[in-house]
Amino acid sequence: MQVEDAGKVDSVEMKMLLDALPKGSVSDPSAQRLAHFISSISNNKVPVSSLSRIWTLGSLQARVTAGYFAYWLRSRFSDAEEKDRLKREAHLAAALKLFGTMGYLRGAVMKIGQMLANLPEVVPEEFAEVLSALHFEAPPMHYSLVREVFLDEFDREPEEMFASFDQQAFAAASLGQVHRARLHSGEEVAVKIQYPGIARTIKADLRNLRLLLQPLCLAIDWQDTLAKLADIERMLLMETDYAQEAVFGKLARSTFTASDRVVVPQVYVEFSTKRVLTTEYLQGCHLDEYLAGNPAQAERDHFTHLLTVATYRLYYRLHWLPADPHPGNFIFMADGRLGIIDFGCTLALSDEDWIFSNEAIQAALDRDLPGLNRSIAKACRFDDPDDMEPDHLDVIRQGFYWFMEPWQQEGIFDFGDRDFFLRGINNVIEATRKGYTRSVPMTIWSNRFTFGGRAFCYKLKGRCEFRKIFLQEWQHQ
Amino acid sequence: MRISEQAKIETRARILDKAAEIFTLKGFEDTTTRDIALAAGLATGTLFNYFPSKETLAMSMIAEAFREGSTDFLRRRNGKEDLAEELFLFIASGLRRLRPLRPFLGPVLERSLSPFPRKNICQEGETARLGHLDAVQKIIAGHGFTEAPDYVAMTMYWSLYLGILAFWTNDESPNQEESQSLIDYSIRMFVQVISGDVPDKGEVHAG
Ligand SMILES: Nc1ncnc2c1ncn2[C@@H]1O[C@H](COP(=O)(O)OP(=O)(O)OP(=O)(O)O)[C@@H](O)[C@H]1O
Repeated sequence: MQVEDAGKVDSVEMKMLLDALPKGSVSDPSAQRLAHFISSISNNKVPVSSLSRIWTLGSLQARVTAGYFAYWLRSRFSDAEEKDRLKREAHLAAALKLFGTMGYLRGAVMKIGQMLANLPEVVPEEFAEVLSALHFEAPPMHYSLVREVFLDEFDREPEEMFASFDQQAFAAASLGQVHRARLHSGEEVAVKIQYPGIARTIKADLRNLRLLLQPLCLAIDWQDTLAKLADIERMLLMETDYAQEAVFGKLARSTFTASDRVVVPQVYVEFSTKRVLTTEYLQGCHLDEYLAGNPAQAERDHFTHLLTVATYRLYYRLHWLPADPHPGNFIFMADGRLGIIDFGCTLALSDEDWIFSNEAIQAALDRDLPGLNRSIAKACRFDDPDDMEPDHLDVIRQGFYWFMEPWQQEGIFDFGDRDFFLRGINNVIEATRKGYTRSVPMTIWSNRFTFGGRAFCYKLKGRCEFRKIFLQEWQHQ
Repeated sequence: MRISEQAKIETRARILDKAAEIFTLKGFEDTTTRDIALAAGLATGTLFNYFPSKETLAMSMIAEAFREGSTDFLRRRNGKEDLAEELFLFIASGLRRLRPLRPFLGPVLERSLSPFPRKNICQEGETARLGHLDAVQKIIAGHGFTEAPDYVAMTMYWSLYLGILAFWTNDESPNQEESQSLIDYSIRMFVQVISGDVPDKGEVHAG
């Protein structure tokens, strides 16, 4: 354990935290109180501070994140009555305390921190977006623990079930880890194992967090934010059930044929449960490693083509928005096939959302401006385009035009074009700055679907005949 | 007529079987020795020839589960485990054998394994405790801790273990998965404390 003077460290960090908070907050006594509070919860040292699996909001970055977040929340009720304000601050304090103990969200906290450092004012939807993008981080398991999970799930040891089983995990998963193994019938498989009890913990924590935030009523659109949080919670919980993921995987797999060159690994049901998922092992590498090999343009284009086919196939055939653009979900296989391995974060659109989503696309394709405006108003939860400020309508429409650019261009579209990508980002930043963030919950997923896919292809510097692909998938849905 | 050794062993086994059934059904507290004798087809007096009390009877089951758990542990151990992992395997193997007794275990353990000074020390309980601690010492020694772990380490271990047992007997999660996570964390903490091994902040994930 560290033997530094705890008090001194505390005050230094306190000052850094206060410095990091937006201007104006430092002189405000209640902000000081809050900063103090945050500093103290994040300083709650676990007796063995390095006990590697118990996380606290230890790093300064995480602390600043919590600080910003608190400041933003607080600013929402700073002009409320004193009594009311204290009550809300108490709620906020409880929520933050809980948040601080959710160690498996450490990565998310970091991400929020990065986002906050870059933006002058935070809006609820942004927070929601970040939450939707978060990845859990489960503690690693040693082999003895893995064996116990197997005995509980299958009543057998891994060695009894498989011809061979690697005791060391080869990859981390958000709720557990992945081991390689070989079936008695000879197939190479990847076995994903969930850390015991983590799903229950997450469920309980998320529910409590939402309940604590509920009475805060921070903004006019607070209900909207809560609805989104509930939606995100639902999606996150999907990830906790591997049986559900297996169902999605099987469905996805059935939509591709060998000539598509897109593979979704086969699920081995007899070796899978809610907490263990056994799938065909796909040999290959992820995006970064692939790029490190300096692939030729034709190859990059090839994979961009496959990725586009894959995502729009899932969209048109299954009405899915695979909203997890995490590069770990794609495998570049040596034989030129593209592997897609994770459907934990996929939104299956309701019929209503599906029709709505296509109406907007159709209106844009038909250059039907009044129709497009109506769709945009609806997506932003207005009854009529006339109810929207003209600038609001304009900014959102620009974003949609950006989204539709590849759809309207004949021939090759270059997703590696920096200007194109930047225009999309700038639009999101503009909308955020201006507070044009009110929207139906589905947009969180469709934005992630779009931005995730495009960011991936941008990094890949890939091109494809987007319009041709979309027309094909659309006609064969 | 002399009762053969064989018959004695059989009767003893029958008593344990029946007792487990009744304990599970009625709970430990509400079961009387008469209930058990009746179910085993014996006079209460005869029952006392085998087990002097209800506690001893229950504790015998637990001790037996401990022994089986130890055997399982030795069989399952592959020799590649590090200290934390091996201790985990040891505890988990024991709990798996204790699992059938879980419904009535709480009050038994409370009485027989309590770390507080008691008037009547349950001999079976004491033997089980010493056996368990002995195994733990061997495991620790096997990982190169040459000095015999002192009473501090062993007392810490035993407190952790009792805490785990208490949590586990009460654990409502499927397959007591929350206990597994508790054991995992507890063992790591224990090992770090006794080894003085305190790596820097941050954590490296397997793989
Ligand atoms: N069938 C497979 N073949 C090859 N590698 C696999 C396979 N399944 C999983 N992996 C490896 O394990 C990692 C984690 O798997 P997966 O993405 O399914 O976990 P997850 O944590 O549930 O998902 P996510 O982190 O995207 O939420 C992958 O990035 C990949 O490297």
